[in-house]
Amino acid sequence: MSLRIASRFARRELRGGLRGFRIFLACLALGVAAIAGIGSVRSSIEAGIAEQGAVLLGGDAQMQFTYRFASEAERAWMQAQATSISEVVDFRSMAVVERDSGTERGLTQIKAVDDLYPLIGEVRLDNGTDLKTAFAGQDGLPGAVIHPQLAAQLALELGDRFKLGLQEFVVTALLAHEPDSAGGGFGLGPRTLVLTKDLADSALLAPGTLFDTQYRMLLADTVDIDLAQADAVAQFEDTGMRWSDSRNGAPNIAAFVERLGAFLILVGLAGLAVGGVGVSAAIRAYLASKTQVIATLRSLGASRATIFLTYFIQIGILSILGIAIGLVLGTLAPIVLSPVISAVLPLPTVIAVHPEALLEATVYGALTALIFTLWPLARTEDVRAASLFRDAMNAAPGIPALRYLLATGILLAALVAAASWFSGNVTLTLWTTGGIAGALLLLALASVAIRWVSRRASRRSRRRPALRWALAAISSPREGAASVVLSLGLGLSVLAAVGQIDGNLRGAISRDLPSVAPSYFFVDIQRDQMPAFLERMDSDPAVSKVESAPMLRGIITRINDTPATEFAGDHWVIQGDRGVSYAAELPETTELLAGEWWDADYAGTPQISFAAEEAEEIGLQLGDTMTVNILGRDITGTVTSFRNVDFSTAGMGFVLVMNEAALAGAPHSFIATVYAEKEAETAILRDITSANPNITAISVRDAIDNVSNILGSIAAATSYGAAATLLTGFLVLIGAAAAGQQNRTYEAAILKTLGATRRRILASFALRSALLGTAAGLVALTAGILGGWAVSFYILETEFEIIWNNALAIVAGGVLATLLAGLAFAAAPLSTKPARTLRSAD
Amino acid sequence: MTTVLSLKDVRLALESNAGLVEILHGISLEVPQGETLGLIGPSGSGKSSLLMLMGGLERTSAGQITALGQDLTAMNEDALARFRRENMGVVFQSFHLIPTMTALENVATPLELAGHNNAFERAREELEAVGLGHRADHYPSQMSGGEQQRVALARAAAPRPKLLLADEPTGNLDGANGEAIMDLLFGLRDRHGATLVLVTHSRALAARCDRVIRLRDGRIDTTQEAAE
Repeated sequence: MSLRIASRFARRELRGGLRGFRIFLACLALGVAAIAGIGSVRSSIEAGIAEQGAVLLGGDAQMQFTYRFASEAERAWMQAQATSISEVVDFRSMAVVERDSGTERGLTQIKAVDDLYPLIGEVRLDNGTDLKTAFAGQDGLPGAVIHPQLAAQLALELGDRFKLGLQEFVVTALLAHEPDSAGGGFGLGPRTLVLTKDLADSALLAPGTLFDTQYRMLLADTVDIDLAQADAVAQFEDTGMRWSDSRNGAPNIAAFVERLGAFLILVGLAGLAVGGVGVSAAIRAYLASKTQVIATLRSLGASRATIFLTYFIQIGILSILGIAIGLVLGTLAPIVLSPVISAVLPLPTVIAVHPEALLEATVYGALTALIFTLWPLARTEDVRAASLFRDAMNAAPGIPALRYLLATGILLAALVAAASWFSGNVTLTLWTTGGIAGALLLLALASVAIRWVSRRASRRSRRRPALRWALAAISSPREGAASVVLSLGLGLSVLAAVGQIDGNLRGAISRDLPSVAPSYFFVDIQRDQMPAFLERMDSDPAVSKVESAPMLRGIITRINDTPATEFAGDHWVIQGDRGVSYAAELPETTELLAGEWWDADYAGTPQISFAAEEAEEIGLQLGDTMTVNILGRDITGTVTSFRNVDFSTAGMGFVLVMNEAALAGAPHSFIATVYAEKEAETAILRDITSANPNITAISVRDAIDNVSNILGSIAAATSYGAAATLLTGFLVLIGAAAAGQQNRTYEAAILKTLGATRRRILASFALRSALLGTAAGLVALTAGILGGWAVSFYILETEFEIIWNNALAIVAGGVLATLLAGLAFAAAPLSTKPARTLRSAD
Repeated sequence: MTTVLSLKDVRLALESNAGLVEILHGISLEVPQGETLGLIGPSGSGKSSLLMLMGGLERTSAGQITALGQDLTAMNEDALARFRRENMGVVFQSFHLIPTMTALENVATPLELAGHNNAFERAREELEAVGLGHRADHYPSQMSGGEQQRVALARAAAPRPKLLLADEPTGNLDGANGEAIMDLLFGLRDRHGATLVLVTHSRALAARCDRVIRLRDGRIDTTQEAAE
């Protein structure tokens, strides 16, 4: 009965149109659009990866090995499964261009392929030739296809010659599209494509050098991919084989996109929370304007339930409309952003409606709308018929009935549960939602403090009327200090935290790291090259330090005779292959924290010295056994010591070191770090790589720049999320300013009556906006600095200092936003005719 | 006797949904210094509009208003505001206190605007004069209607205006409170020697005026001197 009547009442009330609900709709739509947009973009990429899995991988399935080619047994297994097999060798080297003016060198990521490459997909070259023609070369030299970035870096043009190791190549084409580039993850240098057989005389793939081999297979129709994987893993996992297949052709990027997407959606939740503040304010203002209607309905006999349902239905309909607008906008996001995504990630995207992304946004939108409208709606119960004679709505208590509190609690729990389920990461969700709730609580408390301080300050500003009026207004609940601080504060807090973290990280990288980091990593140094290498360094006064160590790569497969994944979960030390070294004596710079180092001539059962921090993280104890697969051979040793390994200096650090006898017989090369004055770096690079073309030099500065760029992209993505939050916050500000316009008009009319000029009134309005904006900015800055400090200190373990330009920008942003919103609605109050305003209020 | 307020053929027409509505049709009158003038008449007769024009709170459509020798119709909005703060006090039926300010701050506001150094001391004195010294730090919402109107009176009187305008000052109050407000209003007039123009429906209040003008349909219907 109640529902039917309420529906009828609601329909009548909605005849008034959407006036007064624009901010409500905008806040909800923007929040839902941001989440639906992020989700849709993520789904577009994931769908692209799924659809193009085989192309991204370069085959139906792939077996990958580190440091070696496949064994006979492995090749035999592949031939039994596949109709075609293509071998790809991936490694880093130096591209060297010799000219009369001098020699130039550039780090490049080489992909050496066979005639069958690519099994699936198409390599596109900028001059329109095919790969076979390009590899054929000219003038008796083999051809190479290089990435335009490498061409630009080394000023190479088509027909120019360059060397990889000892082998000279001619540039026959620039790479326009590499179908399987996403499968391998992020490389350190731009791509060079050559035929593997053309590297035979290059001296680059000698035993012990660092390279990966990938065997792409086109499987026969009769082969079940699940069974094939299970069989391959069972037979070859212990030899260091890694399996991937077309069901997830770009696992690294897929995981990155999924994690970044989940994180950004949680950032989007912050935007929705800010939108919720606006939604709540809009509903409160709407219901306040309906006090007389509600009181009249009550006087005519409407029950509290009927009244509640009447407005619940109205707001429900409007919420559905807001969510629908948001979903439409979110669905369009991948279409609009498609060119941007293509430019950033070498991935195909599938432009379509992605129901799961829209469902996620709908659930968040609906729950947020319910959470933020329930309390204002609950207050309709407090309106009595007597309100027709006095303003009882304003006198109603702030806390609603217990059943509404319980309902709010259940809705909040549902929101957190939904976010955990959708993101698939409970810990991240709890931290993020806890962070948002904590920030909102902090901002709410701050708004109370701001009002209290304003009250005190207004009493001390008695000779400055404009300032006193501004402070008095801020201290009053009518001015909406809470709305301003909450709406603006959350977005600014996230922006401030990102700015502080990013600034400190960049500071640490650019300021602190160069003073402790080496100039170069030299890799693939053969044993017989080491004496000359060390002599060159020792004779150079500009070189302050050289560290070198034998370098192998291995995969930790078992710990205490159980699979390593069972023992250590998904810890990074057991993910993929790691650098492994050996040493006879404890290096001078190494600090032993527990256990004992082996004797220099020890030749018994292999012993292992492990990094102390990582050992603690995976629960490794002295005396535990560990099996490491190196070059397809299992070596099992006992952990006999723990060392302090500091990765933060970008110096040499091996998680796992064995005694010399355990590894010295295996083919391997050496790695060296060289600490030199900047001016001497070019000469060192020239001398070493000229004399030893197989040696690859990695500039630490370039590598750090690459890492900085990736971190910068993540910071930028987070900033965009925060900017969306800020935009929603600005909408809420506009809403608050619009809602406060009537109060300001009234106030301006009284002040004019008392003799205030328009200039003075405008100054007071501007002052209160600026003061509130400054306060919101300062609160956000405090929260941001605290967050930035916590992340820098506890997670990044870097020194923290306040990034002042960012801090000032945050405060200035707060002032600007409130000034814009406040002054946009100042015209009407200033032009008001006191008589009409005051008489209409009578 | 010096004329404080002079109106010559004042007209007021306002835009409404139904088009242009003529509110006042050529009102002419003079108010000498120290006089208490009552404006009475039925609702919609234009008495409050006339009072608003006298205070420069509304602009005339035609005619001239001179207050204390200055032509209000020639002044812009800000000049009118400055004129009011130096010369006028206005009291409304609905009090119109600034809700974000305490009683003391409300009373001090016109003094601050006029640049008084001792605005708050003066405001406190005025509050005490209306019997509300103990409510100085209370907000309007914490006071009764009678108390709010007393604050409004104190605020109007604080700058010692030469001209006091009151628009149905007892209209929103019960009998006892209305009586008290009337006493205070006339007390303030006497204390500061101000000229008082008030709009009222109250016969008792009108009876205490030196002269009463009855308006009907925007025109002066009758004028009654106190002695009559």
